[in-house]
Amino acid sequence: MTRRWVPLAIGAGVVTWVVALALLAVTTRDSQEFGRLQPWILVINAAGVIVLLALLAGRLGELLRERREQVPGSRLRMRSVGMLSILVLVPLLVVFTFSVLFLTRGIDSWFHAEVRQGLSDALGLSRAALDLRMREYLARTVKIAHDLEGRHAGTLFAELDDARRGSEADELAVVSAGGRLEAYSAAALLQGMPPAPPDEILLQVRRGQPYVSLDPAASGGYIIRAAVGMGQESSLQSRRILVAVYPVPQRLADLAAAVQGAYQQYGRLSYLREPLKISFVLTLSLVLLMALLGAVYGAFFFSDRLVQPVQDLIEATRAVAKGDFDTQVPRASTDEVGYLVTSFNDMTRRLARARAEAEASRTEVENERTSLAVILARLSTGVVSLESDLTIRIANHAAGDILGADLSDSAGQPLEKVAQEHELVAQFLAILLPHVEAGQTEWREQVSLRAASGRREIMCACTALPVEGNESGGLVLVFDDITQLLHAQREAAWGEVARRLAHEIKNPLTPIQLSAERVRRRLMGSLDERDAEVLERATHTIVQQVEAMKQMVNAFSDYARAPAVELTSVDVNKLAREAIDLYHAQDARVHFELELEPEGAVIEADRGRVRQVLNNLLTNSLEALEGRPEPAVTVCTRRVPAAGGCFVELVVRDNGPGFHQDLAGQMFDPYVTSKPKGTGLGLAIVRKIVEEHGGRIQADNQAAGGAQVRVWLPVDEASRGATVPRETRKQEPRREHA
Amino acid sequence: MHATSGLHAVLKRTAVLLCGVLLVATALAADERFAIRNAFAEPVGGIWNLNVIIETGLSKPALEALAEGIPLTLLLDVQISGERRFLPDSTIAELQQRWELAFDALSERYVVTNLNSGAQTTYASLGEALEALSRIRNLPLIDGDLLEAGRRYDIGLRATVDIGGLPGAVKLLIFWRDWSRSTDWYTWSIRP
Repeated sequence: MTRRWVPLAIGAGVVTWVVALALLAVTTRDSQEFGRLQPWILVINAAGVIVLLALLAGRLGELLRERREQVPGSRLRMRSVGMLSILVLVPLLVVFTFSVLFLTRGIDSWFHAEVRQGLSDALGLSRAALDLRMREYLARTVKIAHDLEGRHAGTLFAELDDARRGSEADELAVVSAGGRLEAYSAAALLQGMPPAPPDEILLQVRRGQPYVSLDPAASGGYIIRAAVGMGQESSLQSRRILVAVYPVPQRLADLAAAVQGAYQQYGRLSYLREPLKISFVLTLSLVLLMALLGAVYGAFFFSDRLVQPVQDLIEATRAVAKGDFDTQVPRASTDEVGYLVTSFNDMTRRLARARAEAEASRTEVENERTSLAVILARLSTGVVSLESDLTIRIANHAAGDILGADLSDSAGQPLEKVAQEHELVAQFLAILLPHVEAGQTEWREQVSLRAASGRREIMCACTALPVEGNESGGLVLVFDDITQLLHAQREAAWGEVARRLAHEIKNPLTPIQLSAERVRRRLMGSLDERDAEVLERATHTIVQQVEAMKQMVNAFSDYARAPAVELTSVDVNKLAREAIDLYHAQDARVHFELELEPEGAVIEADRGRVRQVLNNLLTNSLEALEGRPEPAVTVCTRRVPAAGGCFVELVVRDNGPGFHQDLAGQMFDPYVTSKPKGTGLGLAIVRKIVEEHGGRIQADNQAAGGAQVRVWLPVDEASRGATVPRETRKQEPRREHA
Repeated sequence: MHATSGLHAVLKRTAVLLCGVLLVATALAADERFAIRNAFAEPVGGIWNLNVIIETGLSKPALEALAEGIPLTLLLDVQISGERRFLPDSTIAELQQRWELAFDALSERYVVTNLNSGAQTTYASLGEALEALSRIRNLPLIDGDLLEAGRRYDIGLRATVDIGGLPGAVKLLIFWRDWSRSTDWYTWSIRP
């Protein structure tokens, strides 16, 4: 049964019960009617009791389960049900007690001794009245018997009929002593044989005693039956008997029947007194039980109505406590509880609005933070935010690149701890600490860090963050790697110097050389042998030095010149093989080894310049290996994927003495060399070519000894803007030996 | 000597008393006996008539009810079933005869009414009325043509005396009172 049918069923049950009660009230005035309807009343009430018991058992079980599971509001529901039940139970029991008392006493009051005595007296009075009539009829019967004595059978019937008409008798019959009917006369039309007189009449008359009795008639009312013997008393056993039946006068018969009926009804009620009392009490108990159960069920119902809003409020409060501010409690009434529900709903609405606003603000802040993080990530400037105790709050990617450490996961770590693992960070901290200890929060300084790949020039600025509440503001360090900038500036200056040198020095060199040769030719013949020898030596020296100066000026000119790069598809592996073949042919003493990318190392670059890079690096290595035992040069290529592109890494390493420690960071500067015959422009030109291609170069010493130069060149135009990863993937290259 | 005669007297009186109690108890038990003493059926003119003798001892509640004017009803249930091979016996006929015994306080007579026919007889005493009720003679039972010759028929009789005129609900609620008594089924067989 669906829930919406429950109230309908309950309503129908209540109506039926009320009808049953009304019937009970009506029928208690009439025991016959009560007896007829009582089964239905009992059935209705018993069914109601069973249904209510089942409903109550279900509700009680539900309540106990809720109580056991600590359902909010179950305690209040149990209390309210208990109180309402007690409030109903007490008056109902009082009413029941007094009802039973009044009922039993009321029934007892029907049967006062005076009533029974009065009815007995009335009955006696009726009998007395009828006795008079019976004696009169008996006397009349005696007279008829006397008149009919000795009559012959032939005239007996006629005389009997005359006597009946004269005596108001309904029937007159003459029977023999043996009971045989001899003559019969009746006022009513006889149907069938006349009935034989009862044996008791015959027995009594035979004993010589006249018989008269009042008999109930089958058709209702009473008749008076009289019988007397006919003839002498000496022949009692043989004389005939006259039997007469007289009607009781209607008026007397009605009164007598009324008295008899009342007496019989009284006797019946008297006999049924105890059963009736028990029956009434049982019925009343059943009705009371049903009323009681109905009241208890009503207590559940009203308890539900009372507790449900409170229960809803408790559940809604829990939901709000868990963060569900959309919870709304249905308002069921307009009373104080309803007002409370309205207030609660208003509160949750405001909380929801406030949370939405806070969420919007948080989202906005988050977006701004994300934007800031993106900006910081994209920024080429290193940004590190520190707590006042120098714990890293945030550090962007560029900061890690500049300081040579991965700071992406270093948030929350002390800078000192990170410095223990990274040399550049340690140098950075060493520069930072004096300022912090001196309490300087706003400063700007250019610092130099010594990295394995060379010196790094850093422009660092520090700013204090504003203090918020009890939290200290901390510091923000913003720094740029200006090594490239300084290098570019230096390179530009060197380029200008080279260009001027080439312009200012190269032009006079040819006239000097020509003039020296002309002087030698003109004077050689006119001078004596000794002077000629001096002249020859002097002019030779001039020509030789001019030639040397020309070479140097040409080198400067090459460095300063920056022709447009012509990009073509260049196979670095192929160039490496060609270069090795060339140098191996020149100096077979050196052991060359190739470790080439098996999948190929094709890039978009200027073929001539890349070849120049290879030649310069190999020349450097071969010059460094002069006089070294078992000289060996290794050339490696491999593809290196990077964010946003791909690079080809070219590595040239030898087992020579390596770079001088004093030149660390200056190997690529022009005119810096540790070789007696070097111009100091080889690595500078290599670096320039690499940077013209958007690549990167790094030079350092191997742990096992020997120099190592690594060059990363972008494979295509799209990769030129990508950043070369610091930790590159190791891949087994293809080894070739020469 | 006197002591011996005294003891004899006490014993004699005790024996007399015990005998009296026994007689009274027997009489009371006999009064309350309600059973079918004898019954038989005989064919008369092609009709099987029933003759029954019932011991119509009434219980105390029945006597009290009768004295208070509440009529008693005597029911006689008769069942005739025919024997069948391999099957349960089949019921051939069922009939019920009802009589009512009432006390008329005004005439102080006991009235016996055959509720089936409406015939009414009055008696001066309860004994006479019960005697009349206890002997049922020549009650037509079944037409002989309806019975197969040579087949065995079982006749069952049961008499019930009931305190009539009471509400059924009262009888239901006051179930522990002896409102009704029935005899056991009295059965015998006939073979036409």
